Amino acid sequence: MSPEPGELVLDHAWRAFSVRADPGRTLKGLLLGRRGAGPPPVQALRDVSLRIAPGETVGVIGRNGAGKTSTLRVLAGIVPLQRGTVAAGGRVVALLELGAGFGRDFSGRENILLNGALHGLSRAEIEGRIDDIVAFSELGDFVDVPVRTYSSGMFVRLGFSIAAHLDADVLLIDEVLAVGDEAFQRKCEARIAQRVAAGATLVLVSHDAALVERTCARTVVLDGGAVVFDGPTAEGMPFYHRQMGTETHP
Amino acid sequence: MSGVGDARRYRFLFEQMVRRELRQKYQGSVLGLAWYVVNPLVLMGAYYLMFGVALKPGFSHAAYPLFLLVGLTVWIFFNQSLLGAASSLLDQGALVRKARFPRETIPASVVAVQVVTFLVVLALVAVVTVAVRGTLGAPLVLLPVLLAALVAFVLGFALVVSVLHAYFRDVAPILGAMLLPWFFLSPIFFEPGDITEKAWARDLLTWANPMAPFITAIRDVLYAGAWPTLATVLYVLGAAVLALGAGLALFRRLAAELAVVV
Repeated sequence: MSPEPGELVLDHAWRAFSVRADPGRTLKGLLLGRRGAGPPPVQALRDVSLRIAPGETVGVIGRNGAGKTSTLRVLAGIVPLQRGTVAAGGRVVALLELGAGFGRDFSGRENILLNGALHGLSRAEIEGRIDDIVAFSELGDFVDVPVRTYSSGMFVRLGFSIAAHLDADVLLIDEVLAVGDEAFQRKCEARIAQRVAAGATLVLVSHDAALVERTCARTVVLDGGAVVFDGPTAEGMPFYHRQMGTETHP
Repeated sequence: MSGVGDARRYRFLFEQMVRRELRQKYQGSVLGLAWYVVNPLVLMGAYYLMFGVALKPGFSHAAYPLFLLVGLTVWIFFNQSLLGAASSLLDQGALVRKARFPRETIPASVVAVQVVTFLVVLALVAVVTVAVRGTLGAPLVLLPVLLAALVAFVLGFALVVSVLHAYFRDVAPILGAMLLPWFFLSPIFFEPGDITEKAWARDLLTWANPMAPFITAIRDVLYAGAWPTLATVLYVLGAAVLALGAGLALFRRLAAELAVVV
């Protein structure tokens, strides 16, 4: 059964990553049967089951290394599962880290085209949106300058502006908004709210409790790759603060 | 991901990747595109001096520079495509780690750029060769078929080395080390019959090296104005189908984990 646009389903999802100081395997090593020493694989997702309906706003929180980013990468279809299933309906747009796919020697405008193309848009579809994207990013003349000259704030403006204008059914955003200044952050939040009102699903990974409280109705708390809380944000936040030992009212 | 639907949906991505590849290649190079023409010409000059003038081999071919040039053009296309494709997935690691799209686009765009430059150079070489050798004739109709097979063969090979290099970081250096002896064993500045009397050695040079039939067939058509043997044509078509089929199969099998390994 394929999911409807905007729907996300993780069913008993498992994923581990090997953590080696030296990730470069070689044919030589393979032929000599050399096994690299190193810590055992990290279980990033441990039997995670989530069902997110179209139009839901979900904040994913948890301590560092809890599996938040891995969950997003699995939902985005970038990293496959080792066990379990994942399904995402419609156009999924992921904003992971700054400058995803920004060719440094290319102008902002060229990068808009490339990013649109990466999400399967045609030239006409992207060119129809390019003015809105440029206007939203407030980059002005910088949009025609190679992006290597950009500040990190400009990167995030461009990245978010693109992601927000691709008519995503699902928006996956990983802790990148914090780089923009406050005015731009507010603008992003308003744009996200607009997209959600239009029926898009939002999954937001953040350590910014206030941001999650403002934008997400539902909260998922991860710990050690497993879901330890899944429910309304009003209950999720106290749970999270208890877990982190940062309660404000003991 | 379904193959055909994706191909249509991601056509614009392919276009953008080719553009990117071209830009990165020619940036900061004064001669730009001209390098693709100059490179085989310089090599041809060097090999002509070496094998045509200095060493005076025990065999001779009329208009030897053209004999060399046809083979060299084919080889350089093969060589450059594989070397470019090998590191391509790592070069574009930022894209692979952060977005979902058909990964084949990356090595395919490297090969596409090489195809374009190859066709430009070959067109020049073909016009001169056909004019000088007077080989304008029926066998030329085979040329498009041979070129299509060559491109498919090279693309299949490129898919294999690109995905293997992403998993095993010594594939590119090993490939680089193999290409030089491979070049000298390929019938580029000789025909197998020129350098050995032994039938088994001739057969080995002709059939054991998958590049040999491609070079021989294209040179038969352009330089000799003759039909290649049926065996050569069948070999070329078979090698193309096999390389592309196996390349795609291996690539798709290994592509899922690419975001983790690059």
